[in-house]
Formats: sequence, C-alpha cells, structure tokens
Amino acid sequence: MSFDNTELVLGSVIEEENYLTLVELCQASHASEDHVIAWVFEGVLEPIGETPQDWHFTGQSLRRTRLALSFSRDLEINPAGVALALDLLDEIAVLRARLQRIGVRCHAK
Amino acid sequence: MKFKDYYETLGVPRSATQDEIKRAYRKLARKYHPDVSQDADAEARFKELGEAHDVLKDPEKRAAYDQIGSGARAGQDFQPPPGWDAGFEFGGRDFGFGDGMDRSDFFESLFGRQTGRGQRHGMHARGEDHHATVLIDLADAYRGAQRSISLRVPVLDETGHVSMREHKLDVRIPRGIRAGQHLRLTGQGEPGIGNGPAGDLYLEIGFNPDAQFRVDGRDVFFDLPLAPWEAVLGCSLTLPTPEGSVQISVPAGSAAGRQLRLKGKGIPGDPPGDLYAVLAIALPPAVTDGEKQAYRAMASAFNFNPRAHMKGNPS
Repeated sequence: MSFDNTELVLGSVIEEENYLTLVELCQASHASEDHVIAWVFEGVLEPIGETPQDWHFTGQSLRRTRLALSFSRDLEINPAGVALALDLLDEIAVLRARLQRIGVRCHAK
Repeated sequence: MKFKDYYETLGVPRSATQDEIKRAYRKLARKYHPDVSQDADAEARFKELGEAHDVLKDPEKRAAYDQIGSGARAGQDFQPPPGWDAGFEFGGRDFGFGDGMDRSDFFESLFGRQTGRGQRHGMHARGEDHHATVLIDLADAYRGAQRSISLRVPVLDETGHVSMREHKLDVRIPRGIRAGQHLRLTGQGEPGIGNGPAGDLYLEIGFNPDAQFRVDGRDVFFDLPLAPWEAVLGCSLTLPTPEGSVQISVPAGSAAGRQLRLKGKGIPGDPPGDLYAVLAIALPPAVTDGEKQAYRAMASAFNFNPRAHMKGNPS
C-alpha cells in the first residue's frame, strides 16, 4: 500500500450551504434517475421544486436515497414497500431518540 | 482459506429448491439488513448472506459449488482443485453485483474477482462518488474540529491490476454540524477515467456516544442529580457543559424528571439548539446514627404519604 501526502480539505455541509440536483443525487447515491423519480412519487423523497429539472434535495434525501436503494436492491422491495419501510424506520428513530432523552439507552439485542 | 458452507449460512438443506433458497435469503436479509438490524454483527452476517445467495440462486454457480463442496465442511481448510471450473461458464466472470460488496477470498477463489469498471482506452467518465462515515465528539460540534481520515482507494495501474492505496485527508468539520448531516468534499471521490473529473466524497457525520450528554437534533440533554433538599429548597449550581461551565439555578420545589432549559446552549447554529438539564433526585444513604436520626426527624416532621394517590389509599 502506498501513501500520498495529507491535504487539508474543506467540505460543504449539504443543505446548509447547498442542495443536490437530481443528477448529483443520482451520482452520489448510485441510484438511477428512474428509481429516484419513482421514490419521489411514492413520497420517499420530498425535493423542493416542481419538475425533475428543478428538483433540489437535502442531505437527508441523500441518506434516504441510499437506504431506498439498498432496500430495493437487497430485499427486492417495490417503491411502495420502500416508502413504508422508511416511514417505519423514521418512527423507530423518533422513539429511540425519545427513549434516549429520558435516559434509556437502546442496546443491540 | 476456510471452506464456507453457503447452505448453512442460509439455513437450508442441500436439497433445497430455488424457491426455498430465495425465501430463506429474503427472510434472513430482512432480519440482518444493516440499515434495520441493531445487531452488532449485522453487517458481517448480511454480507455472508449476500454471498451465499449469489452462489446458490444461480443454478450454474450452485452446481459448480456443489461439485467442489461435496464432503467439505464449514471452517475446513480448503483449496480449489486446479482447473476445477472447467466446463462452467460464469458469464465472463462479471456478475454485476453493482453493489460494491466485497466478497470473501473463498468466493473469489471460486468465481473470480469483480474488478468493477474496466479501464477502456480513450474513454472518459466521471469518477464515482464515495461515501464514508466520520464519528466526532459532541464538543467538536460545538467548536468545530479537524479530523484526519484515511481511505482505502482502489487504483488501477497501467497493466490493469488493482492495488489499494491509502489516501489521507485532513477534513475541517464545521462548527454546528449535527449527526446525520453530510459533508461533501468535491473531487475527493474516485478519480475520473481518461479526462473525466473525479467524483465527490460524502462524509456522513455521527457522534461518539457520550457518557454525560445525549443529543437530539440540535438539542442536548444531560441528567442532573440533586439532593432532596436541593430539589425542594432550590439551589444555584455551576455545571460543565460541552462549551464551558454555566451557572444554573434550580427553582424550589423541582420534581424529578423536570427539564430545565438553557436556551441557545445546545449545538450552535441558526437557530442554535437548547441544552436541557433533566432533574433526578438522589437519595442520600443513612449509615451513621446521626444520618438515621435526621431521617427519623423528617418522618415525624412531615405528614407525608407517598402512596396517597393509590386506590384503596394504602398507608
């Protein structure tokens, strides 16, 4: 294994400094545009803007797109099922955060 | 190299039908999907399931695997016999996982290695975007931080061989960043092919678990234990927070579970989050005679029945 010199990089925080276009979201998540469009119509993703050309996605959308892609690929779930799975995961995350807030740690099984 | 029993991984007998294999895979894949499961080893299990399914779902690969695998047991030392795959055709050794999953040495020794995109002469394409997760401390979100991350990047040399190169980056983590946010580093992903531009690197931020503070979005919570007299009579305390100490006054008559809000003392931003002290009452143990006497004095001073609200009014 070879090394190269360390460089200092400045990143930009998605959605605070910029949004992702449909093309950028597809590049970043490795999902196809057809997939992303299907998920938008199922409500999995909620971009800002009317038409796919104007769509702008938040950093949260990137996370959801990667999840949606892994569910549809690994578990062969259709867009409606992906939407349901992500909604349920959101709800679990809210409940876990609430548990954590009152001091209950969630442990792995 | 150890032999892997793909049937055992999926929990099916060697005589299983293709449908049974698919069902077993789906069920286990849902259970161990790393985005769903809380199991610590979910990712490793899921990877093994994927590999087992890749082989057993494909009748040709399954037949080849059965041929070399008859008699071998999981964990046994294993070397594929020379020329073992003569007569099998695995679609040009490109199975198109397309999922970037790395397969075990065992798998690669049998079915070859997937090298991803080949470099074609005269072709130009943008490099792929890469993803990584960076864990920071809560204090880093308050102050901003610099993190060294090292990434293993596959590089294709002139002869077409893939080698791993370590790529080190110092990344500036901006103040006010929250768990789940993404940092985009333009041009730090996979190098482009030909004259194509490099892809981007996306870093997802997560927080290291903290013994004292809990985070929800921009809001931060911590438990504040109080002696009974502090909670009842009120008190003024100096407490350490992720960004230095603050003066906090606990009002008289504070019950356990009450949350005191320190406005704007959560994770910085516009607007900043809040810091919450969650009150808890700690009971002082009575060991010495003097301490026990103090409790007895309290018992006679108070006309207090903590069970007054219970049905039947037990005394």
